[in-house]
Amino acid sequence: MSNIIEIKHLNKSFGEVLAVQDLSFCVKEGELFAFLGVNGAGKSTTINIMCGQLGKDSGTVFIDGNDLDRNVDQLKRGLGVVFQNSVLDGALTVYDNLQSRAALYGITGTAFKKRLGELATLLDFEDLLKRAVGKLSGGQRRRIDIARALLHRPKILILDEPTTGLDPQTRKTIWDVIADLRREEGMTVFLTTHYMEEAAEADYVVILESGKIAAEGTPLELKNRYTGDYITLYGVTEEQVRALGAAYEPMRDAYRLAVADTAAATKLILENPQLFTDYEITKGKMDDVFLAVTGRGLTQ
Amino acid sequence: MKTVLILIKRNIKLFFKDKGMFFTSLITPAILLVLYATFLGNVYRDSFTAGLPAQIKLSEELIEGLVGGQLISSILAVSCITVAFCSNFLMVQDKANGTIKDLRIAPVRSSALSVSYYIATLISTFLICAVSMGICLLYVYSVGWYMSAADVLYLALDVLLLVFFGTALSSVINFFLSTQGQISAVGSIISAGYGFICGAYMPISSFGEGLQKAISFLPGTYGTSLVRNHSMRGVLAAMEEEGVPAEVADGLRDLLDCNLYFFDHGVEIPVMYAILGGATALLLILYILLNAFKKRA
Repeated sequence: MSNIIEIKHLNKSFGEVLAVQDLSFCVKEGELFAFLGVNGAGKSTTINIMCGQLGKDSGTVFIDGNDLDRNVDQLKRGLGVVFQNSVLDGALTVYDNLQSRAALYGITGTAFKKRLGELATLLDFEDLLKRAVGKLSGGQRRRIDIARALLHRPKILILDEPTTGLDPQTRKTIWDVIADLRREEGMTVFLTTHYMEEAAEADYVVILESGKIAAEGTPLELKNRYTGDYITLYGVTEEQVRALGAAYEPMRDAYRLAVADTAAATKLILENPQLFTDYEITKGKMDDVFLAVTGRGLTQ
Repeated sequence: MKTVLILIKRNIKLFFKDKGMFFTSLITPAILLVLYATFLGNVYRDSFTAGLPAQIKLSEELIEGLVGGQLISSILAVSCITVAFCSNFLMVQDKANGTIKDLRIAPVRSSALSVSYYIATLISTFLICAVSMGICLLYVYSVGWYMSAADVLYLALDVLLLVFFGTALSSVINFFLSTQGQISAVGSIISAGYGFICGAYMPISSFGEGLQKAISFLPGTYGTSLVRNHSMRGVLAAMEEEGVPAEVADGLRDLLDCNLYFFDHGVEIPVMYAILGGATALLLILYILLNAFKKRA
């Protein structure tokens, strides 16, 4: 897979604040890329620079072969953005909103109606077209936000915390749609999220802290690097667990032991086969990775 | 071109669907109506009749026609500006609520967005002011009609010019605004202040000499005077026909700001048109330059 986004040595400061510092990363075509960080880490600044909304101090940004400094209009045509907060016109109907946004890309008349029909079917909002956006529920509005981002068939969909505040059912619906888009159209998805279970589904993860990359890799690599494994052990007493010498926490009907990695887990099991008759081994979660990397908490 | 047309449609629809913005734009005319209904009407009635020689008795219709002309000219002169400001606040609201990000994320020229705001404001303001003018003319017809067809046409031209002026002025001022708080502040200042400085609430002739001279530098003043001239030309002429001496009628023209003076020099109507048109052109050029400069920055 070739790189569809290439960012090299990107810097941006606001007065004394260094929002982005020598940031370099690549996103491969068709992948789900998660861009994580606490508030103020530099995620939105980076996205705003990528979209041509904010000037950079130095560095280069190439998106789908287009240089941000030379070909910003063509670069924008390749991007669809779902903002953290809906920025559609609440007083206007879904149809009017999408019509005005499509016109920004030169999509009008029959071409607009055809694309609207496709999106309405894909995102299931045919019955919402005549309703004011301001009167839609959070989930309905999110679907319209996604439709707006997809109007011009972008190659890259940037999702800035797309599911924040949505109920689990709506979150699932939205992720199903995104999965369909990736599968059927090979769309690259650039995601920022606070839900680590969403980041765990990514092909590649970059964690930002204070404008710099604090960690990057696939979810598996990050879990292996920043978290240990856990053994959930059933049918034993606390004395038996304590004797194993590993950190643990009691659960309702089991004990959860923390070990350095899968090899350490295997060693512990082989040394104590009489205790390990009913157990399961799990890897750490992306939450643990994030907390370990950002220093906001460590796995006990 | 289609992009701009659809954006203009969006902006106009948003203005008329946003009841807050729409009704805010009508506050100043409403204030004027209340002022006239409660006391200003009587004040002017008394001042017109008190200034007349004792032997001249004017008909009630003539007096009411003059007061009505004064009222509608005030409403129209001020509405063209305040409505333009409120309509053009959409460009600020788009910045305040983040919608502008959604518009600029697309490869659309920033000039297309600026033009769409400008033309949408022109159309919205003209629609409201045209309807206001229709209602005002009906009102004058009901109390005392002395206007000729030419007066009505000139009045329409004045309103159109003032709409252009208000749109250009609001475009330049709103260009610098970006928050809801600023919208409220500027909206309040314009609603409350413009009526005074253009002579709509109180005739400029009633202000102190220094203030009159300061106000004579503001182009909107001449717009108000144009509207006053064409609203009241007929009724003042009728007064003269009924025996009011020319110097008394001319005194009334001074009192009502039909005659304006720039440092004691009378300003003729064609010059008023030139001032208003020139100011509008200058503001429009400034708006274009501001957009061009911002783009480069």
